Amino acid sequence: MDSEIDPIRLEVVKNALLAITDEMSAALQRSAYSTNIKTRGDFSCAMFDTDLRVVGQSFSQPTHLGSLVHSAPRLVAEYGAGNMRHGDGVLMNDAHRGAVHLNDISLVSPVDVGGRRIGYVANVAHHVDVGGSTPGSLGLNREIFQEGLILPPVQLVAGGVIDDDIIRLIAANIRSPRESLGDFRAQVAANQLASRRLVALAEEMGTDELGRYMSALLNYTQRRVAREIAELPAGEYHAVDFLDDDGFGDTPVKIDVLVRIGDGGIEFDLTGCDAQGTGPMNATASMAYSGVAYVLKALLDTDIPVNDGFYRMCKVRSTAGSVVNASHPAAVAGGWEVCFRVAETAFAALADAFPDRIPAATKGIICNVSFGGVDPRTGDYYAFYETIAGGYGAHSHMDGMDGVQSHIHNTENAPVEEIELNYPVRIAQFSLIPDSGGGGEFRGGLGVRRDYWFVDHDATFSVVSDRTKFAPAGVAGGQPGRPAHFVVDPDGVGRELRSKATIRVPAGGIVSVQTPGGGGYGDPARRDGEAALADLRTGKVSTADTVGPDTDGRIS
Amino acid sequence: MSTYQLGIDIGGTFTDAVFTDDGGRRWVFKVPTTPADPGVGFVDAVDAAREVAPLTTDNLVHLVHATTVATNAIIEGKTARVGLVVTEGFRDLLEIGRQIRPDLFDLLRQKPKPLVPRDLVIEVRERLGPTGEVLTPVDTRSVARAADLLREAKVSGVVVCLLHSYVEPRHERAVGSQLRELLPGLEVSLSSEVWPEFREYFRASTCIVNMAIQPVVRAYLESVQARLRERALSSDFYVMQSSGGGMTAEAAKNLPVQLIESGPAAGLIATSELARRMDWPRVVSLDIGGTTAKVGLVLDGRPTLSYEYEVGAMAAPGGGRSKASGYPIRTPVLDLVEIGAGGGSMAWIDSGGALRVGPASAGADPGPACYARGGTVPTVTDANLVLGRIDPQSFLGGAMKLDLDAAHLAIEQHCAAPLGLSVVEAAAGIIDVANASMARALRLITVQRGHDPRDFVLVAYGGAGPLHANALAADLGFSRVVIPPDPGVLSAAGLLLADVTHIESNTHLVPCDTVTHPDLVERLRTLADRVLRRLADQGKSAEQVALSYSLDMRFHGQSYELNIAVPNLDDPHAVAAARDAFISAHEQAYGHAARDEEIELVNWKVSGVAPGFRHAQAATIDGQMVDGPVAPVRSREVSDRHGTAVISTFDRLSLTPSVVVWGPAVISEMGATSFVHDGYHASQDSRGGNLYIEKD
Repeated sequence: MDSEIDPIRLEVVKNALLAITDEMSAALQRSAYSTNIKTRGDFSCAMFDTDLRVVGQSFSQPTHLGSLVHSAPRLVAEYGAGNMRHGDGVLMNDAHRGAVHLNDISLVSPVDVGGRRIGYVANVAHHVDVGGSTPGSLGLNREIFQEGLILPPVQLVAGGVIDDDIIRLIAANIRSPRESLGDFRAQVAANQLASRRLVALAEEMGTDELGRYMSALLNYTQRRVAREIAELPAGEYHAVDFLDDDGFGDTPVKIDVLVRIGDGGIEFDLTGCDAQGTGPMNATASMAYSGVAYVLKALLDTDIPVNDGFYRMCKVRSTAGSVVNASHPAAVAGGWEVCFRVAETAFAALADAFPDRIPAATKGIICNVSFGGVDPRTGDYYAFYETIAGGYGAHSHMDGMDGVQSHIHNTENAPVEEIELNYPVRIAQFSLIPDSGGGGEFRGGLGVRRDYWFVDHDATFSVVSDRTKFAPAGVAGGQPGRPAHFVVDPDGVGRELRSKATIRVPAGGIVSVQTPGGGGYGDPARRDGEAALADLRTGKVSTADTVGPDTDGRIS
Repeated sequence: MSTYQLGIDIGGTFTDAVFTDDGGRRWVFKVPTTPADPGVGFVDAVDAAREVAPLTTDNLVHLVHATTVATNAIIEGKTARVGLVVTEGFRDLLEIGRQIRPDLFDLLRQKPKPLVPRDLVIEVRERLGPTGEVLTPVDTRSVARAADLLREAKVSGVVVCLLHSYVEPRHERAVGSQLRELLPGLEVSLSSEVWPEFREYFRASTCIVNMAIQPVVRAYLESVQARLRERALSSDFYVMQSSGGGMTAEAAKNLPVQLIESGPAAGLIATSELARRMDWPRVVSLDIGGTTAKVGLVLDGRPTLSYEYEVGAMAAPGGGRSKASGYPIRTPVLDLVEIGAGGGSMAWIDSGGALRVGPASAGADPGPACYARGGTVPTVTDANLVLGRIDPQSFLGGAMKLDLDAAHLAIEQHCAAPLGLSVVEAAAGIIDVANASMARALRLITVQRGHDPRDFVLVAYGGAGPLHANALAADLGFSRVVIPPDPGVLSAAGLLLADVTHIESNTHLVPCDTVTHPDLVERLRTLADRVLRRLADQGKSAEQVALSYSLDMRFHGQSYELNIAVPNLDDPHAVAAARDAFISAHEQAYGHAARDEEIELVNWKVSGVAPGFRHAQAATIDGQMVDGPVAPVRSREVSDRHGTAVISTFDRLSLTPSVVVWGPAVISEMGATSFVHDGYHASQDSRGGNLYIEKD
């Protein structure tokens, strides 16, 4: 323990800070408008000390591990701490200024007590549409300019009052202004609430004392992380995987992860990854960082707090201008897909060192699905976005979960009844895909099929995803899972789409999104007879000798 | 002839009973819980009452029971083999569920296995659109095929949950009646009848939980009824619902999903009754037991309800429950925030050198170190003992002697030595850390929902609630602490205060501005008729039932609703009044509201309340007071961080309204101990026998 730090008071302060970010999250989620935030929980809240070190964070998506942590300090540096006053709020979404993709808009507010800065509160939320070439702003583009409205640090709130000019400017550039404006109100209210709570805590404890305990909390966290890292097996661990393509060409994109564990702690070396590509499959450094931070967090005790004391122990090396550290003006809408693959590849590298903990490859894709058009019921433009579950990888002692989100995200599905009430689309099918899990002594989880039926209007439909060419791999003799398929008119001609596509769907058309199954574990011949029978009985496997698709996972 | 009422609450360790007569006398019993057959504990409690008074069918006029049988059936996997019939294309409604995993970073954590395995989920061909329009009519051949499969699978019952049935139940009814015809004797349950709200997974899950626990709950209730009949007592009794109302055992056999949180509900009902009688508009309840602390909110004498409960959910590391770790139900459950900190919670040092408390608990066996039953790990109870906040001589009314040395040793070895603190400092630290967790739960239910604790009274009960209430109230700024009489058995007392209730809900999503007053009246009256029918089945006539109406509302585009009361259905401006009330409630809860945004009505709700046994209430909450001189039972010198003080122990029963007990002091009674800190004082009120703790 640091000198003069009371370990008991530290625990009490830790709880008080957590209570503030929890409260902030609840307020944002419950009063937000867009499905992404309210149902799918695609947002996060954080608190920073005066040095812009994160002291508390609340999130339900690991993708948010790296977002605010990087964007908030850059925002304050660029806008100028001295230009921000208590009660203000500054917006930013520019991926090339330390943020992630344009849909994730962050709002940062300084907190002062008696004219003295005590820290910052911030939140970031995924807005369903930020303009650009396609509804949902997650389409097939070549430059960030085509992906939507770019917000450098811009003051939205001054002295507690929202600037209507900024709101009108944003509203005119996006497809779901009503939803987004409701979300902005919720974001502003969340910061105001957290600001009040932090002020109250500072007044109760004393500003200096609060600062001291914030630092102590970071040191305490660092100490725990360091102790756990020291117990990880030292060595260099390496794996390579490939993305299908950059969305325009046909060349696979290399994701190369080298993990070094040793006296210097843990480092993720991504310098072997390919250069940034033409399409949207580029991650900013913040996005790639989220992927490796997730991997490290998953290897540690689950109750280690997430704050700067954790982040400073998680080191990444990458090359500017690469697919994991993209430079202006790269398109980045698919950057989370890259981040996902970085995490999967890091796990593949570490699999042998943690045989009972790390599963075989999971579905491995976010699976960004977005669409929109004019709602014939109202004549208004609508935009919809969601991501879809798939198979989890099998473990050395159990099957992979069927139909679940994995690794870097954990977003819920909107209920079919709610989607159909609010949007002019019908979900024709939402089911597991039999035989999609990789065979093995333990079977990979099944992928999911979700069919969108545009009954009565023309829609623009985009998918920004991957894994149609390279299937999730099995481990220790386990088979790969079935790769992804994106199919127009699935029960008719069945035209397969590429994994990044923006298409026009005529009225009456159906698009079927089919996510990958997880990789299997161990020799399929060793599968327990009871388990194999149960698979047949439940229809998860259709014939006794089904072990997955072609064994090398490559679809010709 | 005297008449009697009996409330029986089955807890983890003890089965508590409160027994009253019409003359206002009250007896309290604690008998061991019998987990293998909880009905044994139940009749032991009945027999304890029979030793006090010769009970007959005629003189035992009211028997109310809280049971954990329904929840345990899920946790222990004693569920029935149930079939599920769904719309074509949605066979994996349960398998996929919410498509999320319960823990973000634990690579090994699994989502719960569906209560209906995939081979018992059968699709039928039919499809409705979101306004109930028919896209594909019911294909009777597909229903016949489903019936064949269900017959072959030998299911005990079948749930039918088709898309959009909450708005248009015709398809479900057609499928249901064909199945009943083809499978005579099989239980068929329609989601549009059990809980007609939208969001298909949650509606299906509610119905499935209900049907899956039905055989176990039914068998239990029948075994209890048989035992009552053996004792020549009536087998008509009430069970406590999760919503805080009673329902007859017969009705509960068909709606066992309503019994999920039966026990904890009763304590909150007792708190609500207290709040009404004492005219306290804003109350927070604090119930601390061996492993958890539960806090609830009572506004204007009414507890708040939640519709987002998950049965069998696992505790989350930071408090509360992990989302998607259990089976969701949408039926009403009294809103309690739970945190893994109680008297048995164990103290430990983590790898970063911080002192932690819970969520692991020593439970009742071996229990805290001071129980001297083999426990060596320090607990919150041990820390309280070392600090002099529990009197080792008067625990459980003196029936159990506590081992102070064992508590001392456990704290020394596991906390004080590794942290380089004295035992007293470490003990004080354990209490501070436990209080910090509990304070987080209290903040969740107050400030997080826009309520200022300074406007609230804190009512503390459970074995350890009265021990921590003073410190927590001081931390959060509660105006006053109240310890009701017999706080250790308040839940059992609450059973006798329960009204008989039934709630119905239906989703009808419509813009607020398009709803006319006649629409409002018609739709809510239709629901009210359903409520009245359910209560009529339980012997309550329409004249006895007070109906209340409410609407779940949101801004168009939001996904969480706020429940807004419709206080006067006959008011021609009721819709506009609800609209205004919603805007205020939104501002209160979230700090903002857009006045000109479109507002939607989502779920329409009607609650019916018929009085249980109102005349019995004076007796059940009021304590007994014995006149006489008041002197401490004993005093002892105790050290804490601030020095050494003399702490006196008083017997609660000896306190009269004129007596003020100055802190630090311990006030002991059967089943609970209150602690009054330095700078505070306690006094007993003359009306209800409540103990108040206030600042000097």
